Amino acid sequence: MPPKSAQEKARSPVESLWKAYNEDTPDRLKFVDSFLLFLMLSGIIQFMYCVLVINYPFNAFLAGFASTVGQFVLTASLRSQVNPVNQGEFKDVSPERAFADFALGSIVLHFFVYNFLG
Amino acid sequence: MVAFKRLLLLAAAFASSYAKSSSGDSVLVIVEPKKQADYTLFLDGLREKGYDLTFRSPRADAPLLTQDGVPSFSHVIFFAPDTKSFPSDITPQSLVSLLGSKTNLLITLSTKQTSLTSLAAEFSLAPAPPGTPLISYFPERSEPLNVVPIQPPSTSHILSQNMAPVWFSGTPFALGNNPMLVPILNAPPYAFASEVDGGSADSLVDAAEKGGEGLWAGSRMGVVTGFQTTTGARVVWAGGAELFSDEYAKKQISQGVESGNKQFAQEVASWAFQESLVLRIDHTEHHKFNTTTPSELYTTSDELVYTAQVSRFYPERGVWKPYSDLKDLQLEFTMLDPHIRIALPPVEGKPGTYSVQFRAPDRHGVFKFVINYKRKGFTHLLSSTTVSVVPPRHDEYPRFISAAWPYYMGAISTSVGFFLFSAIWLGGEVKAFDKKGKGRKAE
Repeated sequence: MPPKSAQEKARSPVESLWKAYNEDTPDRLKFVDSFLLFLMLSGIIQFMYCVLVINYPFNAFLAGFASTVGQFVLTASLRSQVNPVNQGEFKDVSPERAFADFALGSIVLHFFVYNFLG
Repeated sequence: MVAFKRLLLLAAAFASSYAKSSSGDSVLVIVEPKKQADYTLFLDGLREKGYDLTFRSPRADAPLLTQDGVPSFSHVIFFAPDTKSFPSDITPQSLVSLLGSKTNLLITLSTKQTSLTSLAAEFSLAPAPPGTPLISYFPERSEPLNVVPIQPPSTSHILSQNMAPVWFSGTPFALGNNPMLVPILNAPPYAFASEVDGGSADSLVDAAEKGGEGLWAGSRMGVVTGFQTTTGARVVWAGGAELFSDEYAKKQISQGVESGNKQFAQEVASWAFQESLVLRIDHTEHHKFNTTTPSELYTTSDELVYTAQVSRFYPERGVWKPYSDLKDLQLEFTMLDPHIRIALPPVEGKPGTYSVQFRAPDRHGVFKFVINYKRKGFTHLLSSTTVSVVPPRHDEYPRFISAAWPYYMGAISTSVGFFLFSAIWLGGEVKAFDKKGKGRKAE
């Protein structure tokens, strides 16, 4: 076993990290992570557009960018609350309760975003 | 019989009123009673046109130029070039204030120094030193050296084309840089100012060697020059009164060729007395493109239409008629500086109408539509209309802007993503619990 793991480490730390993630992360969290990745890309694209092309309706930029950031934060909170590893820290919070918080927070966020967008 | 007489009177009235100045018909002629007969042809010409002449001796105290602060005459002619001192109501100051109240002047100078000579300096004219008339040895002639035939320019707006040469004797003057000056007749290029006997050759050489100040010579010198004030009044300065006299009008230039003096004098007078080259702006209007009602308030970047109606005075009939021949009229849209300055072209098929459409600048503030047309000889056209240009109201901006679509898409995709995420999260619960269960087991 040790030589094998040494071999693995020698191959590439990134690759081993990826492998460990694939093997050890529950599907539900992977699903959350893919949503986080999407939000991050969307935020980066909007930021680049604002910097490189035009920031003219600045409120629209703020609304679009804030929606991705806010959604990212809410989703990240959800992820940490439903993560079984963190179960010790969130004893009182059931996954259902966490999702309800997440959904309510998102709806409020989107309400503000659309008010600010146009 | 009585009716016939009335008819005659009526006809006479019509005949005398067919041609009038655009600014009034009363003329005061200041002339020595003895010399009045010298100018019969010129003065009769004015009477024929319908002017109402009043005479006053340069020494008489009446009639006054202004009474109770109101000018008594529309035009004043000074045929008293040698008079040293005028009565107390004729001073350089009173003449300038007359111009301020739109009275036109025709002033003749002579080679003698008078108060009018010093007034000429205020109009950027510098008469030659006293006692030095315009002298020319060319063309060869029997007349004295100081009686000079001058060919009027053919490009003048004021004078008609192909006029015969004009006899002149008197003082020339150097023209200053004042843009209000309108040169009418300049000295011939080979003429110069000197003593009547032509001066000794030595004195001329001495004068020429002194440079600039020395010899007054050449065609840059004026002998008849107009001046139009900012109030629109016109002054004509002539270097000698003989130009207008019967003697010079009848004097032939050469065998069988009449001099142009009579015609020249009338045309100069008709310019001075606001007959020729008189324009006015009848009215101006402005409105937004595709509407017809003018507005006091425009929004930035509106399409505006500005229209001006210009008329010209036609002395033959004494009427104002629409005039479409201005090719270089310009409109300025100014707030301190002209933000827009564009040509204001005449409209085809609408006489006298000049119109242009333009986009208001993307700048809010109090703007003025300005026409400022000043051409030598022509009446100055000035018009200024103040309007406000305001930014769009809060509900006049475009609701959605194409440049913002990435942001809209970002916000919408986040929402859609949230709904899909929620749906899959809730729908895929069983499977997810399995996985999570596995994860828990692994732990």
